[in-house]
Amino acid sequence: MKVIDKALFTKGVALEYRAVTLVLLSAFLMFADRRFDTMQSLRFALAYAATPVYWVADLPARTSDLMDDVFVSHTELVVENSRLRNELLLAQRELQVLESLASENNRLLALDEATRIVEGEVVAAEIINQSPDRQSKKVLINRGAQDGVFVGQAMLAADGLMGQVVEVMPRTSWVLLVTDPLHVTPVEVNRNGERALARGLSGASDQLELEFVTQTQDVRVGDLLISSGMGQVFPKNYPVADVVSVLNDPGQDFTVVRARPRAQLNSTRHVMLLRPSEVEPDVRDDYLDDALTEEAEEAVTDSEHDESREELEQGAQE
Amino acid sequence: MKSRSASLWIVTISLFFAYLLAVVPLPEWAMDWRPMWALMFVFYWTMALPYRIGLGFAWAAGLVLDVLEGGLLGVNALTLLIVAYITLSFHQRLRMYTQLQQSGVVFFLCIVTLALNHWLKVINDQLVSESWGFFLAALSSAAIWPALFLLLRGLRRGFINH
Repeated sequence: MKVIDKALFTKGVALEYRAVTLVLLSAFLMFADRRFDTMQSLRFALAYAATPVYWVADLPARTSDLMDDVFVSHTELVVENSRLRNELLLAQRELQVLESLASENNRLLALDEATRIVEGEVVAAEIINQSPDRQSKKVLINRGAQDGVFVGQAMLAADGLMGQVVEVMPRTSWVLLVTDPLHVTPVEVNRNGERALARGLSGASDQLELEFVTQTQDVRVGDLLISSGMGQVFPKNYPVADVVSVLNDPGQDFTVVRARPRAQLNSTRHVMLLRPSEVEPDVRDDYLDDALTEEAEEAVTDSEHDESREELEQGAQE
Repeated sequence: MKSRSASLWIVTISLFFAYLLAVVPLPEWAMDWRPMWALMFVFYWTMALPYRIGLGFAWAAGLVLDVLEGGLLGVNALTLLIVAYITLSFHQRLRMYTQLQQSGVVFFLCIVTLALNHWLKVINDQLVSESWGFFLAALSSAAIWPALFLLLRGLRRGFINH
């Protein structure tokens, strides 16, 4: 009897010691995860265990997609095909106009020595899950470090800006949506270029609120908000949201402006990740060289840039 | 020794299903009602196999859940650790309880976990919900416990021989 008591007693003490140790370890982890970046590597390693869970959790959605592809009637396909062909024709026509406009715009910007529009190729991705925490509006996409995703990368849907990557895992990444209360998107009004910051509203509503809009700023219901490109995260000129209400209360310091995001944040599955072009500075120099004459020649010292200018000049001679 | 590693495998595989149920997308109205699967699985296994599944296992399971949910590292690890500690301290008594009484214990553990989760979020300057709707998860967990208990007991009796 005595022996058993003693054994139980020892066990109890050991349990408490271990519990206290692990509590302290948890507290340290929470602190370190908030303050330092080093915990990212631990997350990254643990994410290998998490990847199969995401993969299986996404199976039903993938299966239903597959079923939709397999069980579709011939007439439906024909109708869809002709509709898509029409859309493509329209889009190509618009693209032709856009290209000339874009090159003209770039020349003008180069003259003005303004920042070049962020351009680059896009990588297709799919949303496979959403955050179980209802307060944070985050989604999980099926692209990760192995696909070259990085923190801060912008995510777009077909109809507008969606959010930015906040955490990269081996094969998946978390993307913070523009409607998250902790996310601020630099925007401008398409009509007149008034700048503002759009923050997500907390709660269930999927709307944005413009911060610090003064009473004299010209923002109206129905205005389109586009990304202003400030902050260097999002590309310029992508549609973000439509203004749905403007409340001008003289007693308040600022006008309350609400906007609804263009992108269908809750129903889109297919999205795009923007990959900024790596040759961006050189391209910009080319535009400068093209646009400016003496000033640019003085500025250019690299032999590399000389070569590119020679190429340009040759192109012009031809 | 062989049965020891076998039991660890069974527990890990069952935990995989708990994770799956914890992250599978649900419609908006059902989000608050999502039962706390990982908590119930840890509760069962620490109660059934207290000398094999201990604090370290529960803590590691919570850490993986943190990464899985994309939240702050260490929150679920801490709450699951507390669940395991309470269960291990009373496991002999808990085993004698009827399933209804065990449901009550699950309800209590869920409330403690959810409250702690809420406080840890407040301390860490994260977004917290304005309504108390998130406590509904405790109700659904308690309601589903008897069925889960029978399922896990069947699993244990089928695969793990003492």
